[in-house]
Amino acid sequence: MAMSFEWPWQYRFPPFFTLQPNVDTRQKQLAAWCSLVLSFCRLHKQSSMTVMEAQESPLFNNVKLQRKLPVESIQIVLEELRKKGNLEWLDKSKSSFLIMWRRPEEWGKLIYQWVSRSGQNNSVFTLYELTNGEDTEDEEFHGLDEATLLRALQALQQEHKAEIITVSDGRGVKFF
Amino acid sequence: MHRRGVGAGAIAKKKLAEAKYKERGTVLAEDQLAQMSKQLDMFKTNLEEFASKHKQEIRKNPEFRVQFQDMCATIGVDPLASGKGFWSEMLGVGDFYYELGVQIIEVCLALKHRNGGLITLEELHQQVLKGRGKFAQDVSQDDLIRAIKKLKALGTGFCIIPVGGTYLIQSVPAELNMDHTVVLQLAEEHLLKEGLAWLDLQAPGEAHYWLPALFTDLYSQEITAEEAREALP
Repeated sequence: MAMSFEWPWQYRFPPFFTLQPNVDTRQKQLAAWCSLVLSFCRLHKQSSMTVMEAQESPLFNNVKLQRKLPVESIQIVLEELRKKGNLEWLDKSKSSFLIMWRRPEEWGKLIYQWVSRSGQNNSVFTLYELTNGEDTEDEEFHGLDEATLLRALQALQQEHKAEIITVSDGRGVKFF
Repeated sequence: MHRRGVGAGAIAKKKLAEAKYKERGTVLAEDQLAQMSKQLDMFKTNLEEFASKHKQEIRKNPEFRVQFQDMCATIGVDPLASGKGFWSEMLGVGDFYYELGVQIIEVCLALKHRNGGLITLEELHQQVLKGRGKFAQDVSQDDLIRAIKKLKALGTGFCIIPVGGTYLIQSVPAELNMDHTVVLQLAEEHLLKEGLAWLDLQAPGEAHYWLPALFTDLYSQEITAEEAREALP
């Protein structure tokens, strides 16, 4: 666990863990929570979580301060993230979710830019090659988790810039 | 029988004596006044000499500045009274406070989105010093208060609120109700409504209110509803 994560000032502000009644204040509060969740997950390379995990995670539970965001409020924060396109529920009962610090469309754009730049349109890649191949070592999407990658490619597919196909032992993608 | 002190003659004598004393009193008062006047003039002259001799010191040294201001106050001189005039021209002290006022406004504007226009004197001081850099003239909290008082006089909406041994500087004129009973009843609601306070339901006991303005890394202050009421003017 990377302990060098820099908490924002709100994290040490006790009322940050109480959903604010004032509408304007609440807006600021939720924006700060969304931002915190995304940077936390990004640094800890966490792409999915269960709600139970979230409740006990230092993210929503500041032990030193003796404050934790109650689960109903956590749900509100998660819903905000979903509306913004950074979160996707993985099950109907909303017990676990995918968290994407960059939206799938944004990842798709980065990947497609790399493909074009390196003149590899009309090439086929396995999913593994894209995220773990030597050629992409310097790219931001190197090491991206499969679930997010898939959604990024689906976004590209919507734009007719790619097609997800089946290859020998799994899935791959063709870029146009 | 010959009684002393009584009789028309005695009364007249008494009156004369009183008149003489009164006259003497007037003379004495006039004398004193003349003397005092002379002393004040001398004092003023000395002060002017002092000021011109120590002009640099006054500009550079905040402590010196306080003492100088106090001296001026003693003889009823306000070095900051007007932009023009002897004092500000000779010392440029007026400019100093004018510039400081502008800096204060800049800091308050920059932090308004975070603290709703309410800031402690300490944090304001910190931020102003930060903005001035290493080589600028040193600035004290006393300087800040004086500059803010000048800003107040200009009707900029600045307000100085004494709270818990220090001061809160309000730069956004929020509608703070002066009716004390209303204040007592609605203080918490008001602070929340104005976005000046955040609600904390996880503190032991009753609900607590926190002012982001008082929340810095140096110290964090938590206030109960009681104290929230006291924090309003």
